[in-house]
Amino acid sequence: MQSRKEELLERIRTKIRVTCDMPDLLIDSITFPDRVAQFKVMLQAVGGEAIELVQGENMQELICSRFPESKIIASNLPEISFATINPDQVDDPHELAYIDLAIIRGEIGVAENACIWIPQMMKERVVCFIAEYLVVLLERSALVNNMHEAYEQISFHDKEFGVFISGPSKTADIEQALVIGAHGAKGVLVILT
Amino acid sequence: MSTKHTKAADRFIANKAQEVWHNQTLRFVRDKRDNMAMQLPEWETLRETAHQIKMHTITHLDHYLNEFSMHAEANGVLVHWAKDADEHNQIVYSILQSHGVKKLVKSKSMLTEECHLNPFLIEKGIDVVESDLGERILQLMHKAPSHIVMPAIHLKRQDVGRLFETKLNTEKDNSDPTYLTQAARVHLRQEFLTAGAAMTGANFGVASTGDVVVCTNEGNADMGTALSPLHIISMGMEKVIPDLKSLAVFIRLLARSATGQPVTAYTSHYRKPREGSEMHLVIVDNGRSNMLGNEDHLQTLKCIRCGACMNTCPVYRRSGGYSYTYFIPGPIGINLGMSRSPEKYSDNLSACSLCYSCNNVCPVKIDLADQIYKWRQKLDSFGKADPAKKNLSVGMAFLFKRPVLFQTGLKMAPVINRMPRFFVYNGLNDWGKGREMPHFAIHSFAALWKKGKISGANQKKKNAES
Repeated sequence: MQSRKEELLERIRTKIRVTCDMPDLLIDSITFPDRVAQFKVMLQAVGGEAIELVQGENMQELICSRFPESKIIASNLPEISFATINPDQVDDPHELAYIDLAIIRGEIGVAENACIWIPQMMKERVVCFIAEYLVVLLERSALVNNMHEAYEQISFHDKEFGVFISGPSKTADIEQALVIGAHGAKGVLVILT
Repeated sequence: MSTKHTKAADRFIANKAQEVWHNQTLRFVRDKRDNMAMQLPEWETLRETAHQIKMHTITHLDHYLNEFSMHAEANGVLVHWAKDADEHNQIVYSILQSHGVKKLVKSKSMLTEECHLNPFLIEKGIDVVESDLGERILQLMHKAPSHIVMPAIHLKRQDVGRLFETKLNTEKDNSDPTYLTQAARVHLRQEFLTAGAAMTGANFGVASTGDVVVCTNEGNADMGTALSPLHIISMGMEKVIPDLKSLAVFIRLLARSATGQPVTAYTSHYRKPREGSEMHLVIVDNGRSNMLGNEDHLQTLKCIRCGACMNTCPVYRRSGGYSYTYFIPGPIGINLGMSRSPEKYSDNLSACSLCYSCNNVCPVKIDLADQIYKWRQKLDSFGKADPAKKNLSVGMAFLFKRPVLFQTGLKMAPVINRMPRFFVYNGLNDWGKGREMPHFAIHSFAALWKKGKISGANQKKKNAES
């Protein structure tokens, strides 16, 4: 017996009248003389903030000074020793339900829209979404101009999930009034290293 | 000459303040979109490329769907195929049932609206929780979305405040959007934490990798899917695109066109099931393959559901989403409804002034207004032509074929100017409703021309000669 899949694909074949060619995807796209500056401006525009770590500055002290209220801090990054919970070492994602701050690493930053590519590099990815505040560490050299360049470079690692995050969670569903902090992070701080 | 749309629009504009607010707010979103578009020199190239990618993909849909499903299956995703809404709903229910799911959290999906999934599951005893703020507000009100991207755009903050007072125990008379959003966050956080399954739609399906891509601003799709042991994706078959290079084009266009943002806060790529969880993908036809066979209306299948055509539409902005009889309003909704059932949804065809603004903002260049025009030409063929307009056309044809009668009529016409208002503005004259009729000139242009009294024309002639 023909499967439902085969039936539907066959149906499509009988319906198609014309065929169109795939276009050339070499689009001459926007670039920026100063990607760091552009990224900062865009991140601010979408409700986040990017700061550059200056040489000799202590990353942990910087984060602590920015989030003095945070008690439950989640991270699996080796350089973050003050984390109180490790998303790799929980049996169930629900154990991460009440975290104040998550510190994660991003792989690519996009200057045109402040997106950061975050492939899942922890056991429970909910940490990227459920934390009240999110800190993303990103190398300055990992900034690209636009999404075309970003998609050329993204990799997925073994968990095979990835997300572009651009600023904090937001909504304007009540009278188009912008409110930061819908379901995900209420604030995103990107530290450019 | 009233359609269901015009009657419903009458009710919407009865509240003048609301009409003005709705119009201006959506116009502002259109302006934000323009602002985004103008910042990219390659904007028009992106639109043209997106159009061509979609035309290529939907005309090779069998190939790309096969490739997409093979990759998804290789990634460990369980793929289901549904020929219609009933089959889709049954598949979703059987997956939920086999996992003993009592509570399902959903992120926004127009396809599940199309299939009427929620009432179906609720009847079966499943607690269905919409998690997009706008969708949740409407669910608590037992209402449908009035816009595909801004579902609660027709509501005022006081409406939401009153609703939350009774449903979420918020403070009396507090309708501050930040306060209300915070209350919804706390309420929905509990729902995310206690759900047995999460459901999402799909903005794009990437054939070369099997990725399902979902774009949200709130982060609700990820909250649901990162916590629960079961992820079900409902995807219309036209959502497939060839590869990640193509995806870049659409991601650059989608949020800029939809809300005037450079990108949505979250662009999530679901490739493999999360460790210890299952991922099911339901690919749905429900009339889409039929649309492939209709060359005049094929392009509706390119739609990426950004809503830009609604925000720019002068009729939508002033009549609201509920004035349309199809669940998707605006220019794209008119066409999608007609493709589904011309007999059932032809009332919406009147909701267009053929200004073509929608064609000019659509990020994938759907010929929205052209299609509406074509549908109007076919109205008579399925018995939906307006009888008054039909009679008028017959009368006009009679008159235009008889020059003497036409000239006499023209000479007599100014008499109407001096008639009491009642004779001109009454129930029989639809053109006199809501607007002033133009006055007939005492002497027609043809008469003046014959007498050489067209002074402007003579003046121009003289100027040209000198």
